[in-house]
Amino acid sequence: MTLTIGKIASALKVSTDTLRYYEREGLIGPATKSRGGYRLYDHDAVRRVRFIKQAQHCGFTLTEIRALLDLRASDAACCRDVRRVALEKKLQLEAKIKAMRVMSKTLDRLIATCSDEGRRLDDCPILAAFDR
Amino acid sequence: MKIELFYTPGCEKCAHSKDSLKATAERLVPDLVWRELNALDELDYAVEVGVLTLPAMAINGELVFSSLPTPRQLRRELTKRIGKV
Repeated sequence: MTLTIGKIASALKVSTDTLRYYEREGLIGPATKSRGGYRLYDHDAVRRVRFIKQAQHCGFTLTEIRALLDLRASDAACCRDVRRVALEKKLQLEAKIKAMRVMSKTLDRLIATCSDEGRRLDDCPILAAFDR
Repeated sequence: MKIELFYTPGCEKCAHSKDSLKATAERLVPDLVWRELNALDELDYAVEVGVLTLPAMAINGELVFSSLPTPRQLRRELTKRIGKV
């Protein structure tokens, strides 16, 4: 069974440009062409696009997703290899969250330094803090 | 000196290497504290140390190896640190 690029795009809520990009990057198999010149994708391409979307929701980049897809296709790999990749991604996400908490606290402190909203810009303590 | 090895359960690389790494450390460091930490169980601490890839090794709470060192690399690092003490 094959589907046109438009049908896949609307079914999976991705743009046709995205699907063409995935194909150029080798993330999904190359499309065949219909007699009318439309790109046609098979069921495996649909499955891979779903996989890419779900993995993106967990924070994986396309490069990392490619590695996951390669792992899935590898006879030598097993579940613990995927688990390690997932755990490393979680570590990276937690590190980002930690860094963002620090940023947020820094902003709290800066916001607290500016109690006079009518002050001139030259006297703005937030801008001054960034100048230091 | 405290050496911490962060690993994922079932990591074959870790299983193969950790005994020789531990033996290397024991030979060089008299007051060695050797800890093997499942990164999933110790996630907050792993993040605090800065672990982003596994396995990884920290010395005295500082991430020193983001992948497992060879015994030679570990020996070089420990010798450098012991020399500074």
